[in-house]
Amino acid sequence: MKALIFSDEPKNAREILTYLRGKMEMDVISTEDKELPEYGAQKVYFYKDGFVDNLSKFLADHISKNKYDFVFISSTNIGRELAGILSYKLKMKCMPEIFSFEHGGKTITKRFFHGGKTVVEEESDFHMFTVSAGICEAEKTDKKSDVSNINLDKSNYKIINVKSKNTAGTDIRNAKVIVSIGRGLGSEENIKKIQPLVDELHAEVAGSRPVCLDYKWLSEDKQVGLSGKKVRPDFYIALGISGQIQHIAGIRGSKTIIAINKDKSAPIFEECDYGIVGDLFTIVPELVEKLK
Amino acid sequence: MDIAVLVKQTVDMDQIKLNDNNEPIMDNLPLKMDILSKNAVEAAVQLKEKYSGKVTGIIFGTERSTSTMKEAYAMGVDDGTVIKGYKKSDPAVTGAVLADVLKKSKFDIIILGDQSSDSYSGLLAGILSSELGLNVITNAIGIEIKDKIANVTVESENEDITVETELPAIVSVAQEINEPRLPKVMQIMAAGKKNINIIDGNPDYKDDTRIISDKAPESQRKKIIYEDGKGIDEVAKILKVVK
Ligand SMILES: Cc1cc2nc3c(=O)[nH]c(=O)nc-3n(C[C@H](O)[C@H](O)[C@H](O)COP(=O)(O)OP(=O)(O)OC[C@H]3O[C@@H](n4cnc5c(N)ncnc54)[C@H](O)[C@@H]3O)c2cc1C
Repeated sequence: MKALIFSDEPKNAREILTYLRGKMEMDVISTEDKELPEYGAQKVYFYKDGFVDNLSKFLADHISKNKYDFVFISSTNIGRELAGILSYKLKMKCMPEIFSFEHGGKTITKRFFHGGKTVVEEESDFHMFTVSAGICEAEKTDKKSDVSNINLDKSNYKIINVKSKNTAGTDIRNAKVIVSIGRGLGSEENIKKIQPLVDELHAEVAGSRPVCLDYKWLSEDKQVGLSGKKVRPDFYIALGISGQIQHIAGIRGSKTIIAINKDKSAPIFEECDYGIVGDLFTIVPELVEKLK
Repeated sequence: MDIAVLVKQTVDMDQIKLNDNNEPIMDNLPLKMDILSKNAVEAAVQLKEKYSGKVTGIIFGTERSTSTMKEAYAMGVDDGTVIKGYKKSDPAVTGAVLADVLKKSKFDIIILGDQSSDSYSGLLAGILSSELGLNVITNAIGIEIKDKIANVTVESENEDITVETELPAIVSVAQEINEPRLPKVMQIMAAGKKNINIIDGNPDYKDDTRIISDKAPESQRKKIIYEDGKGIDEVAKILKVVK
């Protein structure tokens, strides 16, 4: 059995390679990344200036020519566009957003449904999948892949403007400890009140969607959740976060979740290991004292 | 300008309760317009207001979808078709049904929500672009149109990229593109009286997946909750390993 893995984000490609390793042979197509050849693929292909048109054309040819048994596309913007196009062009139905894959005769996959309320486990004979980010923790192997570069046709889409956003450097997906703030913090000003905890634990700061997107207390790359980053730290400390399902979707990979919330019925308490009911502005300073 | 907006009706997922087996109880749930469909309708109506033209709403749903079409009318959609026959989330089938209807008219731009909130599949824009042979841009947070060209700003994590594409094209929108309007009572009343075109879709659902289980995920978390000022010592002890 042989699979093709595609992701425009090498980080996701590494995770999928790790997840499928040992189950089948794998080739991978992604953007330039020094480490990707160390994750167990036979062939690694790098492309540049990929858009939905030139990539879908290349991938359709490449998949037919190499007769892959399975195609795994990581769920990013362009990944989902491509999966839609390729599933139509190649007449391969696509099972979306999987986070679990088993194959023996039939294929059994799992994905979230009803907006994350449930997990559906399905049996199908599908051969194409989009894979939810953070399917596992990426690990290297000894085996090195063959690396080659792909020349894509020129795209018909024209990029006419690129506006960088101010992102604050570190990637929260690699953090070991995350102090995550929600609307319960009240204001951007109040970040300095939780900073001693962040310093004491050498943590990275992240936040819920309203904090990053609507109020902009943090930059957008710090957003955790379904439409943000999927994180897997040793400790995830949620301060004033209610724990809506879209937020939980981003923290399931955490080893230990600690929540502080003044509302006893906040859903975060259903998804944490340790919870303290109370005002974060009194609890956090006490906690910092105890940690010193 | 002829604008089409694809609208999805979903059950109100916040109201889903579980039975003793942790399975969702799907009977008698209220229906509503999906979150991102609201943004899609708003984006379509804003384009009409800016560049003039007409907005056609299309729902692949059931006979019960007229309520959502009325909501779309109240927000400013001019004309609407409800295609009956929707049974389940199957992007390939939904794409084929919608393409059949979209092929019959000429649209300059087809707008939809980027991912629907039941499955977050996000495959429909790509499927439709293949079915119809049109350009596609997804996750838009801004759309500007000049002559037969659209400049669409797409959001990604580190940058916002503005892409130029020829029309007709398919554009899916992100939640950040706008704040959907709340229609006024007058508009809701007027919408109730407007005609809705109801047609039969011929969805070709195949028996190609079998659901083994559909259950709320069981949390493996310890769920040790402290109240009344307790717990700080315990949590500090757990966090000490970091140091
Ligand atoms: C399509 C879609 C995608 C989404 N994607 C994401 C995503 O990726 N990430 C995400 O986070 N959200 C996402 N959301 C939004 C999500 O549904 C919630 O609205 C959001 O997570 C709520 O953020 P919050 O917990 O910070 O705020 P709230 O829900 O307002 O919660 C604030 C909490 O703070 C508590 N609080 C207040 N004051 C204090 C205090 N002094 N001390 C202690 N506790 C206090 C309150 O009890 C409350 O529980 C998405 C929504 C949609 C529709």
